[in-house]
This record gives sequence, structure tokens and C-alpha cells, in this order.
Amino acid sequence: MATQQTDVVIVGAGAAGGILAAELSKAGMRVIALERGPRHATPDFAPQDELRYFQRQDLRPDVKRQPVTWRVNTDTVATPVNSLSYGNQAGGGTVHYGAVSWRFHDDDFRVRSQTIERYGEAAIPENSSLIDWPVSYDELEPYYDKAEYEIGVSGQAGNLQGQIIEGGNPFEAPRQRDYPLPALNLDQSGVNFDRLAREHGYHPFPTPRAILSQPYNGRPACSYCGFCQGFGCHIGAKSSILVTKLPEADATGNFTLITGAMVHHVDTDNTGRATGVSYYGPDGSENNIEADIVIVAPFIYDATRLLLLSRTPQFPNGLANSSGHLGKHLMTHIRARTMLGYDDRHVNIYMGPSAQKHTVDDFNADNFDHSGLDFIRGAQISVGPLALEGGPIGASNMPTPPGMRRWGAEFRDHFAKYYTRHMAIAAQLDDLPYAHQTIDLDPDVTDAWGLPAPRLTYDWRRPNELARTNYVIERIEEMARASGAAQVLTTRNNTGAPAGHHQGGARMGANPAESVVNKYGQTWDIPNLFVIGPANFPSMGGFNPTLTIQALAFMTADAIANRYRNNPGPLV
Amino acid sequence: MEKTNDGRRNFLIGAAAGGAVVAGAALVREATQEPAAGQTVADGAHDEHGMAHDAELGAFFNAADAATVAAMAERIMPGAPNMPGATDANVLNYIDLALAGAYADRQDFYRRGVGQLDAFSQERFSARFVALDDAQQDEILLALEDGSATGFDYPGPQDFFAMLRTHTMEGMFADPVYGGNKGFAGWRLVGFPGAHPAFSPADLASSEAFAGDSVIGLKTTAPARRG
Repeated sequence: MATQQTDVVIVGAGAAGGILAAELSKAGMRVIALERGPRHATPDFAPQDELRYFQRQDLRPDVKRQPVTWRVNTDTVATPVNSLSYGNQAGGGTVHYGAVSWRFHDDDFRVRSQTIERYGEAAIPENSSLIDWPVSYDELEPYYDKAEYEIGVSGQAGNLQGQIIEGGNPFEAPRQRDYPLPALNLDQSGVNFDRLAREHGYHPFPTPRAILSQPYNGRPACSYCGFCQGFGCHIGAKSSILVTKLPEADATGNFTLITGAMVHHVDTDNTGRATGVSYYGPDGSENNIEADIVIVAPFIYDATRLLLLSRTPQFPNGLANSSGHLGKHLMTHIRARTMLGYDDRHVNIYMGPSAQKHTVDDFNADNFDHSGLDFIRGAQISVGPLALEGGPIGASNMPTPPGMRRWGAEFRDHFAKYYTRHMAIAAQLDDLPYAHQTIDLDPDVTDAWGLPAPRLTYDWRRPNELARTNYVIERIEEMARASGAAQVLTTRNNTGAPAGHHQGGARMGANPAESVVNKYGQTWDIPNLFVIGPANFPSMGGFNPTLTIQALAFMTADAIANRYRNNPGPLV
Repeated sequence: MEKTNDGRRNFLIGAAAGGAVVAGAALVREATQEPAAGQTVADGAHDEHGMAHDAELGAFFNAADAATVAAMAERIMPGAPNMPGATDANVLNYIDLALAGAYADRQDFYRRGVGQLDAFSQERFSARFVALDDAQQDEILLALEDGSATGFDYPGPQDFFAMLRTHTMEGMFADPVYGGNKGFAGWRLVGFPGAHPAFSPADLASSEAFAGDSVIGLKTTAPARRG
């Protein structure tokens, strides 16, 4: 057994862990980050290969080695899911993501109180476990700003210090300054969608992205090759943690990244204090890191599983789980999309940054009046390819008109005609938290290390979510039918399966009774143990989570470097 | 050390002969193309086949199963004049190489699936799948797709059909280095220009078909990448 000692050990060098690694090592702390996957370099991503990266998911976990199982309810047996969307390398999901980088709305941080103020408590579904966040937009704004400027985000401001800016998102919470980089160029799907949305009185704007529209910090501008979602960027224009924060950490001399490291236990002493972590090396060896601060920052499955696996007599239901909330309140973005196939124009959807190219926010959050509607919250509506990236393998699941099979000569002609003439208007729908939507340990399925697989128990088909989905699809189909497109074909997820951007499992809250961690991701039970990342989100909103994960990581790094370090103990 | 593609050719001819009704013509056409005298296959006309031209035999399938899979793929994406199909794109070669490599864990899935398909075909039409006409083959595939096909245990008919469809699409549209999408047949079918490293503002502003340079694949860009 190899043992090393350090000030801070971080499990997972992704969106959150990479930022903490850079900020804490820059503050002079000795940091070791443990990463299950490899560390790539930009030249690795030269092959723009849809089969390898999108279809076979080369940058995502191997579902055979690292299974995650799902069951629709507790009466059924969970089976392994066949694809996982999070990352499996240094830089985590930011290496292969579409780089959509939202600030949440002001009311996304106080959904419960906003709903009660405007519609009364009865509007919240009876069995939802909805709570407000313990952090406000205003408190997080400086850290959103820091994230946008430090990693490099391109966008069009919609609300600059309270002034609404034409061409941006009028529903945006006020920002203190503009984006560091102007928005990326529009492709034809963006042009079509922009016109359509304006004709319906909506407010379209370019989706903000952590992709450089101009050279920035020594990296080149985007070349619009279209290989974003699922791919590593072949020129380093995508502002992944791999090309932004990890080099900063390297430069301090205080940072060590250990790859191929599968952390399986958070170690504690008999006072309940975290003392470090244990991990299997790439050769299967057992290793140990001793640290003053332990930061658990992998994706939600592993964050939850690691605490469940590290239970002690003091915490028999999972480490730092005196609240009983560990593994609960799983949320995922619900998706629906409508394909538009044009006879009179090409769209060439394979060009330019892939998913969610151009957005309307008119039906998201509480941006529209829900009075008389039988649901709360909404969806981001955007345009893009059918399958998040625009290659022909992804598009080959193209929906067909009623009566047309998805194979044979008719399908061939349909696909051959509409591949370059299609776009999809997609809804990314909010999902409320419910305590019975859970992550726990699968009793039957183990991973390549012999550890029990994370098991999801989840079904989004609840009355509030179904009503919201139907409403949003109606709005999309109204636009699509008015578009002049020859084909208008809607696809929905009817199985209840979890879709994208999973969140929850170790939620933050205002007090130890309702949550696992405080707003800094510090566990209420063990002050030197932090859980950082989307596991912390108490509610999700319709926006992609990454920029909020990053802003929270910057806030926590600030609190650790400037407060906790001098005075270890509870930060709240 | 020179190699010819005789073995590979025999494999493909065998597949074509077994599937004479449907899959035959294009496979035979492809398989019987002779290298010019003295020309090695490695620098011959088959560069887009990637690994394929080095193979002495089919990498996984026996001749009969190869013919069945080729015939299924051709019904899923049939060829027509100016509309390349699965045979034209060499989807069989893609699946064969994948089952010998990345998808080796699905070998028995295919072996059993093809066996069950032929048993069902015998029961329905008293002939193996490859001997049926197009309409009969479609009837068989429809029964797989809707789950009504009988006699399947593992894989189930719908799972087998779904896998065949997915792998046919991969063989049509994955880069030719994986053994299908021969001569960019699949990309040309749908108008995908391949792995372009950049598109210009004018490209993005156009609502016409992309009129850029020729189709770009991994082998096209490889020499530039590797300096």
C-alpha cells in the first residue's frame, strides 16, 4: 500500500474538482486530485470520429466496467442503463460537453418561496420535496462572473445591471458586466428558429457557450466544425477544465493529478473526522491519501455511492448522512423534441457548435404566468440537431411520418432528403425533486472493481411533469406548424427513464435537518468533508447545470482558502 | 511481403452466392475487382476499406451467416440507382470487423440471432432468409420489428432487429476506416461532407447544399494531422 499526505485531496478532476484544484493550489495549499479516467491532450481529439466519440462514447464511462442501473419503481428489478452522459477523464464532462453555460434565473434559487408567493402553497405538488437553495443569485453573481471570465464564455448579455439589452435574454438575472466574448455565429437552424420565434412574439437569443468566439487566453477561436457534444475539441477552443483550470493548477507546483485512480472509501477516525481516501490504482493496487480536507467531486452517482460505501458505526446509513437525505431527490432533465424537415432550404445542421444552438426562455422557470395551468416551472426551448450532435449516425434515428417504417427504401429516401434539411426544436424541461427518486447501492450488480453499482429509482411521469411537458410540446408544435416545414415530427420519452443532467443525491440546504451539505458543499456532519457538484442541487431549473456547478466551486474555493484554512470548522 | 485479397474475395463471393437474390450483384462486383497486375492490395483501390483489405478471410462470420446479415442490411438500407445502399457501402464488412473487435461480446448475439431468423424463415416460407424475395424478406423483418416472430428466445426478435438496424446505420455512416461507408457511399447518400475541421461564415450563412471541397474522412486528414 502506497500512502501519501497532502493538505487537500479531491476525488474527481472535472467541472467542480478541477476548479477547486486550481484555486486551492494557487492559494498555496498542497492538492492531490484522484481521477478515475485518463488525462488527454488536445491533439488526442484530432480524429473527428462520430462512431468513436458519439456512438461508442469514448469519453464517457464504459457501461460494462462502470454500470449504473435503473428501475422505474421499487416493484421492479433495476437493469444497467446502456449509456451514461458524464465524463470519464481529467476535465470530466467538460471535455465532451456541448459547453452550454447558463447562469440560473434569480427565482431558480428560490422556487419554493417564489411559487408560494405567486400561486400559493397548493401549487407545489403535494409529495414534492422542494426547498429553496441556501444561496441566492446575488450571492453567486460574482462567482458566475469569475467562471465566465476565467474559463472563457461567449454570449450576448440580456440584462446588464438591470438594463435589458436587445438581442439577449430579457429573462436573464442582472449581470454586473458583459460576457468576456461575443456570441458565436449563428448557423441556419439558428436563423430559421430566430425568425420563427420572433413571429410568435418570443425573445430568441444565442445560447451562451464555453466555446471561444475569438482568441482568448492563448487559445484559438472556434472553427465551427460541429464536433462538440460527445467530442473533445480538436483545437482547444472549447473551454474545458482540461485546457483551462488544470494547466493553472499544474503551474503552481502544488498540484498532483493521479489518473486511473478509483476511490472506493472515505476514511475517518474515531472522532468522526475525515482523514483521507482509499483508492485502487490502475494495476488494482490499494492506495491511500491522508489529507486535512477531503473533497468529493465526481458525478452524482459516485459522490452518493462513495458516502454510502464509507458508512461507519456512527453513520450507519452513509457517511455524513445523519439527515437521511443522502441519495434522495434525484432529478433529471426531461426531453421532448420536434423535427422540422424543410423542402425549400438546406439547414446543414452538422455545422457549428452542436446542441441547443439558439434559445427562447419565454417558457422557462417562472418567466410566464402559470395561473390556470396545472403545473409549475418550465423548459428551455432551443434549436439543434436531432441527437445533440449533427452527424449522420446520430441523425439516423430520424422520426418518420405516420405509416412510414424506420427502414427500407422509404426511410432511405426520407433520411437522404432531410438529413441536410432538418433541424429540431427541443425542450429541456425542469424536474421537481421528490424524496422517492433515489440513488442507492444495487444489491445484484457490481462494477469492474467489485463495488456495488449505483442504482437509480426514477420515473419522471408525475402529474406536474407530464402537464408541463404537454404544454411545452404544444408551444413547440405551434411554432413548427407555422414554419412552412414539410415535416413536423415530435418525439417524446414515454418510458419515464432518466434523461440528461442528473442532479441531487447530496443536496444543500439551510439546515442539517433538510440537507446533507451547506451552501459551500461542506457536510453538516463532518466539517473537513465536502461534496461538490450537481449532487448538491436542491432543484434544477430548465438550464444546463455546468456554469452553476463551476460558480459554486469558485465560491467554495474562496471560502476554504480565505476562511476555513485559517479557522477550520463549520463555514455556516 | 505482398498480399492479395483472394481470401477476402472468396469470403465475399460466398456471401454473395448465398444471398444471390438480393445481396448478390454488388457484392460480386466489389469482390471480383482484380488488382492490376503487380499491384498490391495495400496500395490498390481499396484504401477506404481500412483494415478490410488485409483480411485473408471474413474476420468473424461464416459464409452462410455473412450472406444472411448482408441480406438483412440491404433490406434495412436498400440500394437504388444513385442511392447507395448497405451492399454498396459494404455494411457487411463493417459488422464483420466490429464483431471481431469492438463488439466481440456480441458474437453470440449475432450467431444465435441469425440462426433463429433462418429457423423462423424456414417455418414461414420453407426457405432460408437469403433465398426469399424482397417482399418476403421484408415480411420477416417486420415480424422481427413488431415482435410477432416466433421461435426466438435470446436474442428476442425486436432486440435482434434493433441491433441490426443500429449496426447497419453505423456501417453506412461511420468513417470508412471502420470498414463500411465504402467510398463515402453513406455520406454521399445523405449529403454529409465528413470531418471538416472548419466551416466559414459563408458556409454557415448559406441555405443551399454545402458546396465545399470533397468529402473528408479520417484518412484524408491523417497525413496533415501527423505532420
